[in-house]
Amino acid sequence: MTLETVGFWVVAVVLLASSLAVVLTPNLFHAVLYLAAALVATGVVFLLLDQPFLFAVQLLLYAGGVVTIVVFAIMLTERLVGERLVQTSRHLVNGAIVAAAVFVGVAGFLIRAPLEAPHPFQSMDTTAAIGRALFGPFAITLELLGVLLVVALLGALYFARSEE
Amino acid sequence: MIGLSAYLTLAALVFSIGLFGVLTRRNAIGILLGIELMLNAVNINLVAFARFSGNVTGLVFTLFTISITVAEVAVGLAIVIAIFRVRRTVEADRLDLLRG
Amino acid sequence: MGASVWLPLSVLALPFVAFVLLAVVAPLRRAGRPAGLVSIVAMALAFAAAVTVWTRGLVVEATWTWLPADGGPIASVGLLVDSLSTAMLVLVTLVSLLVQVYSLAYLHDEPPASLGRYYTYQSLFAFSMLGLVLAPGFLQMFMFWELVGLCSYLLIGYWYDRPAAARAAVKAFWITKLGDVGFIVGIVLLWAATGTFEFTELFEKAQAVSGLPLIMFLIYLGAVGKSAQFPLHVWLPDAMEGPTPVSALIHAATMVTAGVFMVTRAEPLFALVPEVLTLIAWVGAFTALLAATMACVEGDIKRVLAYSTVSQLGYMMAAAGAGAAQAGFLHLLTHGLFKALLFLAAGAVIHAVGTNDVFRMGGLFRAMPQTGIVFIVGTLALAGVPPLAGFFSKEAVLGGVWEAHLTGPFLMLALTALLTAFYMFRVVFIAFFGRAHAAGHPHEAPWLMRGPLWILALLTVLVGISLALGGVEGPEESPGWLAPLSVGLALVGFLLAWAMYQRGAIAPARVAAALAPLDYMARRRYGLDALYGGLYRGLMLGFSRLVGWVDRYLVDGLLNVLSALTLRGGHRLRAIQSGRAQDYVYGVAFGVLLLFVWAQLWR
Repeated sequence: MTLETVGFWVVAVVLLASSLAVVLTPNLFHAVLYLAAALVATGVVFLLLDQPFLFAVQLLLYAGGVVTIVVFAIMLTERLVGERLVQTSRHLVNGAIVAAAVFVGVAGFLIRAPLEAPHPFQSMDTTAAIGRALFGPFAITLELLGVLLVVALLGALYFARSEE
Repeated sequence: MIGLSAYLTLAALVFSIGLFGVLTRRNAIGILLGIELMLNAVNINLVAFARFSGNVTGLVFTLFTISITVAEVAVGLAIVIAIFRVRRTVEADRLDLLRG
Repeated sequence: MGASVWLPLSVLALPFVAFVLLAVVAPLRRAGRPAGLVSIVAMALAFAAAVTVWTRGLVVEATWTWLPADGGPIASVGLLVDSLSTAMLVLVTLVSLLVQVYSLAYLHDEPPASLGRYYTYQSLFAFSMLGLVLAPGFLQMFMFWELVGLCSYLLIGYWYDRPAAARAAVKAFWITKLGDVGFIVGIVLLWAATGTFEFTELFEKAQAVSGLPLIMFLIYLGAVGKSAQFPLHVWLPDAMEGPTPVSALIHAATMVTAGVFMVTRAEPLFALVPEVLTLIAWVGAFTALLAATMACVEGDIKRVLAYSTVSQLGYMMAAAGAGAAQAGFLHLLTHGLFKALLFLAAGAVIHAVGTNDVFRMGGLFRAMPQTGIVFIVGTLALAGVPPLAGFFSKEAVLGGVWEAHLTGPFLMLALTALLTAFYMFRVVFIAFFGRAHAAGHPHEAPWLMRGPLWILALLTVLVGISLALGGVEGPEESPGWLAPLSVGLALVGFLLAWAMYQRGAIAPARVAAALAPLDYMARRRYGLDALYGGLYRGLMLGFSRLVGWVDRYLVDGLLNVLSALTLRGGHRLRAIQSGRAQDYVYGVAFGVLLLFVWAQLWR
């Protein structure tokens, strides 16, 4: 029982538990917090996969940015004062069946697919490799991403403006 | 040894859970949370493939996905707020203007 | 085809040509009297040809293949001319001719288009009847049998705007159709066993057929319907709704005799099944007696004659059943003459007085002496008084039945003879003698009507005299007491009628009271009409209700179920378009699942 294995299982359990909590808890605010936990757990998964750079990005952008935005949105759309944020779901069974079916479908592919053996850990600096790739073959994509972010910013501003 | 299939299975599970959330949550923001989970699972997939094949493209892809997801969340929540301002509710059941 | 076939063929073809001409050339038909003349001329020529065939004593058999097949023709048509069919040829053409001439005067007031229609039907009928008597086999006979039935329907319902006439025509058609079903079944069974329809072949091959009694009984059923035997006699009295000349022609002399003719024609076949013959004799005698009782209480002059016809048809059938078919056929011929005479005379009376009811007539002899004389001649013939024709044929019938040791039928026929004289003279006394009730001025009929009357009366007398001189073919050993018996019965009947209706010595009401049950039943026609009507209504209504139910609940129900399913299905499907994006994600998920399945299958 190596450290890696133990770590994987712990992280897996945390991730799955918090994911379930996100979709099942009635309180929306709690759901956001559970999402934060799930996002952090995902970051740890990245760590297990020898990607420290991505772990950092995940924490910064997801657990930091996205959760913050969602919290703000909740506060703006629900009457917080004097009222519980109750959230019920409908058609639980139908959803469960469909989701399970999708999982079964994917798992079916997984079982039959020949997967390669894991590479031994290369002490390559993957961060540098990413950086080289970003400014190399994916340079144009990077620029387009920038454009996208500007557009998203403008869009969000437009939708969220107050009526005057 | 934790193999590729373990990570992929994990990712598939999270994806299904996220799908379940998208299908069942009533609140629009709850639906968005489910979408977040699904995208997360996709990221795990990408990174796992990249790690086990030594190809850096997967990692770059993941970066892009994260960025775009953040943009999408921002715009999506802006829309939710706009809807809230008009209809005073964000319950998905009540938003049926697409009804034909 | 020898040259000798042309003459009988022309007898058949002339009325057919007249019919086609009148049917196709509408202006000629709508002209009225010219149409009548065309028909009459054709009929006169046919009569001349028939007489020629008779005097030359032609015997011809000619057939033409109609439905060819490998093992010999399935069906043939043709002409069979022998003494039997020749006699019928002469009778049919003669009576048809006289009736058509008479009709010119009787239907004088009809609109021309209707008159043309009448003569078209008359020509068609003549053609059909002649085709029937000339048939060399059962198939052709059956075809013309049905055609004759059709003409009867058309002519009974000539005044189709009268509901009673329309009903009577349909009733006649239905009742005879019942018999015809048996007829066709029997014919086909016979064909299945022997492979032929033709008479000459059947007479040879019929010996070997198993189940022949049943087959011949079925064939006899056709005669039961057509010749108004019990229990299918109910249509004949109602058929009197048609014009009187039609009654004279079809329901006295020709069409109704087709049944008797058929039994006589097929006599060699019936001789093989004595049990069926005995049945025929009993049914015939019973019919004769039954009808005679109903004639005694009837007040409509045409109905009396109709019942009388039924009764006499019973006589003919009884003779055929007793094995004395020749005697029956002789009675057919003589009866045709004097019954037609009686009907036409009755027509003259009705034409003059305007009513059929004898109790509204009276003392007509003073106003219409010629009609009275010929009517009495006919009555005497019908009652069987020598030396008129009826006496000889009736005696032959009685003799044949006696010789066959059929005591029951004999007694019934003897009683019928008494009643026949009684009810006929009853009519004579009420209508022609006694106080005059008739309104208006009854006068003699025009010559076009009186001419045929005198011709028929003369023929009745002449035929009688020739029979007296020439002797009757038939059983030679008639008991010596038979002739006095039949005359005596007629005398008793006459005296009874004279006492009751002329002298008033015996009150008819008291006799009716004394015979109350019989009187009651006879007046209600023994309930047969009611029975048939009830059955008909019950079956038809029941069947139509069943069909209606099927139509409403099964046919319409099927459609309603389909439409309901469609509506409900559409209602359910509408839920897919909820407008909620979440539900559309379901659709996406389903699509993804399908893609998975497809991809798995592709491996």
